[in-house]
Amino acid sequence: MTDKWIDRLSEYIDDELTHDERAQLEAHLSTCRECADTLEDLRAVVSRAGNLPTRAPETDLWPGIEPRLSSGRSDAVLPFQARGSRRFSFTAPQLVAAGLALMLMSGGGVWVLQHGGRATSMPPIAATADPGTAALPAGLSDPRYDEAIADLEQALEAGRSELDATTIQILEANLAVIDKAIDDSRQALDADPANVYLNNHLADARQRKLALLRRATALVATKG
Amino acid sequence: MEALALRSPVEAIPAAEPLSDVARAAAGDVRAFEQLYRTHLPRVNSLVRRMTAGRDADELTQDVFVRVWQKLATFRGDSSFTTWLHRLAVNVVIERFRTDQVRRARMHDGEDIFEMLPAPAQTRDIGMDFEAALEKLPDGARQIFVLHDVEGYKHHEIATMLEISAGTSKAQLHRARMMLRRHLK
Repeated sequence: MTDKWIDRLSEYIDDELTHDERAQLEAHLSTCRECADTLEDLRAVVSRAGNLPTRAPETDLWPGIEPRLSSGRSDAVLPFQARGSRRFSFTAPQLVAAGLALMLMSGGGVWVLQHGGRATSMPPIAATADPGTAALPAGLSDPRYDEAIADLEQALEAGRSELDATTIQILEANLAVIDKAIDDSRQALDADPANVYLNNHLADARQRKLALLRRATALVATKG
Repeated sequence: MEALALRSPVEAIPAAEPLSDVARAAAGDVRAFEQLYRTHLPRVNSLVRRMTAGRDADELTQDVFVRVWQKLATFRGDSSFTTWLHRLAVNVVIERFRTDQVRRARMHDGEDIFEMLPAPAQTRDIGMDFEAALEKLPDGARQIFVLHDVEGYKHHEIATMLEISAGTSKAQLHRARMMLRRHLK
């Protein structure tokens, strides 16, 4: 393949030749069978590549992902080597607490979906003064998370008069549900601090509280 | 309420995206994130599998989604969520190649491998034959081919991602096409 135009055929297909180069190549193609055939083959390759079907893996990968989301978006995400290698055992009180937390969180989640997930009923989640806190670490103790919660609770209290009684009642009920889930998870974790399953519950509950408070304060902002 | 006036990432998400799942996942909703995972898994896994020739593709796919979870709050909606997600997936794969010295050692000129490949049988799935041929490409040529011809990135974008020149990207792309052409004939 000493033909100098052979190596320019991809550029020709991708329309990356100058006007003059393109004209010269097209003139060459009319006299060179090898280049014309190669061009046809390369176009077939490009066409095939653009129509490759997507394919999901043979096994579900989610079980290897979910445990690694345990600490929200902090740096405490578990390393790959750790996942799936630990066998869990729970005491009866831990299982009860985790189950209770699940039920409570489900109730709170339904409310968030019904009232917080649609822009027509509540505005999108608003940011706090620091946009970087949009996904605060929700581990057992993080000053930024605690500060954000305190700020949002203060803002919500200050704007409480802007909300109607029904909305306040729903908000308080759901905050109570989430707080209960957080407390239950904490109690269970006291007995087994390294339990990934329970840590997931706690981190999830804390993130839900943050999200709910943000939505609530955003609602106050639109009313004020 | 001045602090609440700042624009959040969630508000910036284009309406065409599944807003509720992205927004809820950004707020920490694991179930919403699982839905995003299930929606995008086939394309992300296919991208990763093709770029890596199938090596550790599932493990890397998991790494991609963990990274997405970690970075979701930084998604500002400047591009579609799908575009953002795929770029992040590409970065995860490239990082793996850069840091894995073993894989680097495997990078070689693999043109001779095509001489050993059997010609595609008439009864086989031609799409699978193409995928098999793709896996046999040298790492660099394969990555550029996947990024350009499968994923639709431009040479200047590939050059930035892989820290190479646009000219190298073009040359490697042509090399990959010529090798695949030989196998498909």
